[in-house]
Amino acid sequence: MESEASVIARGLRRRDPDLLDRLIEQYQHRLLRYLVYLSGNRELAEDLFQETWIRVLERGHQYDGKHEFSTWLYAVARNLTIDYLRKKSPLSLDGLMEGEEHAPLEPADPRPMAWELMQQHQQAERISAALLRIPAEYRETVMLRFQEGLALGEISTITRSPLGTVKSRLYRGLNLLMALLEGAQA
Amino acid sequence: MTRETHDEARTLIALGESLSDTQQAWLRAHLEDCEACRHYAEATDGVVRSLRSMPLAADARLVRATQMRVRFHARRLRETRERMWLVAVACLGVGLSATLTIPLLWRLFAWMGEWAGVSTLAWQAGFVFFFFAPALVVGVLLVARGTHLANDSERLR
Repeated sequence: MESEASVIARGLRRRDPDLLDRLIEQYQHRLLRYLVYLSGNRELAEDLFQETWIRVLERGHQYDGKHEFSTWLYAVARNLTIDYLRKKSPLSLDGLMEGEEHAPLEPADPRPMAWELMQQHQQAERISAALLRIPAEYRETVMLRFQEGLALGEISTITRSPLGTVKSRLYRGLNLLMALLEGAQA
Repeated sequence: MTRETHDEARTLIALGESLSDTQQAWLRAHLEDCEACRHYAEATDGVVRSLRSMPLAADARLVRATQMRVRFHARRLRETRERMWLVAVACLGVGLSATLTIPLLWRLFAWMGEWAGVSTLAWQAGFVFFFFAPALVVGVLLVARGTHLANDSERLR
């Protein structure tokens, strides 16, 4: 039986609009979350979200179906973000964070009790603020590992970094994040 | 226990579920003896759980807008491909036709030049003009049409 990745690869080669609609819906939250924390700016992330799918449409034939589609999708989104930031100015990924206002995060499920929601919201805001204060390369690795649940090898493919670098970014990123969260609570 | 041992334990804690059986066993043994690293592991676990449960959702408007943009772009790419295919076929037809007719036209122009009593250079210039004039006219028309389409797409943005 044909694997999911092969079906996607075949559909992308044909530029099948129904398949693309389905993929956009399927990966909407994960991709947007990745872009928000990669770029550090929700508005920019929404623009990059749309551009990522346009690029997926244009370069879909490059996806070979041998790897997970999500790994390829994140790599496309990452390259697009880096291209955008390079074009805009010689900024690092963190350059965008200067003087920005972070949009409040939207809860995915509005059903929990009010106090739970408030607590979740506060915790999310604390983590979100702390995440945006750590260097972009650490933030990206921490997000891909713990929010998107990707394996270290997949992160290494997406970021085109050696496995050792991914491990050290994960360790340092997590330490920085914990230090910031402890500092915020103190 | 040395500082390196603690550092190694914390690196393994940060890697989470990607550890081998040997590493897991070593880490478990270390955590039983080391309170500081145990605290570190609990703190890490808390942060990781918070990260995993952090809500951030794309709204329906963004998804719909993206789907529409992708569909529109897909249609444009398809149209461009179809147009390119037609242009390729037309070019092939013109090339074949030119290969077959050039020798005949050349003789015709030579005969007409001789009959009209004009110099060789004059009928040869006439031939070149006759040969390139249609291509020039079509080229100018295509450029004008291309500009018009580009203006349209700019307006749509």
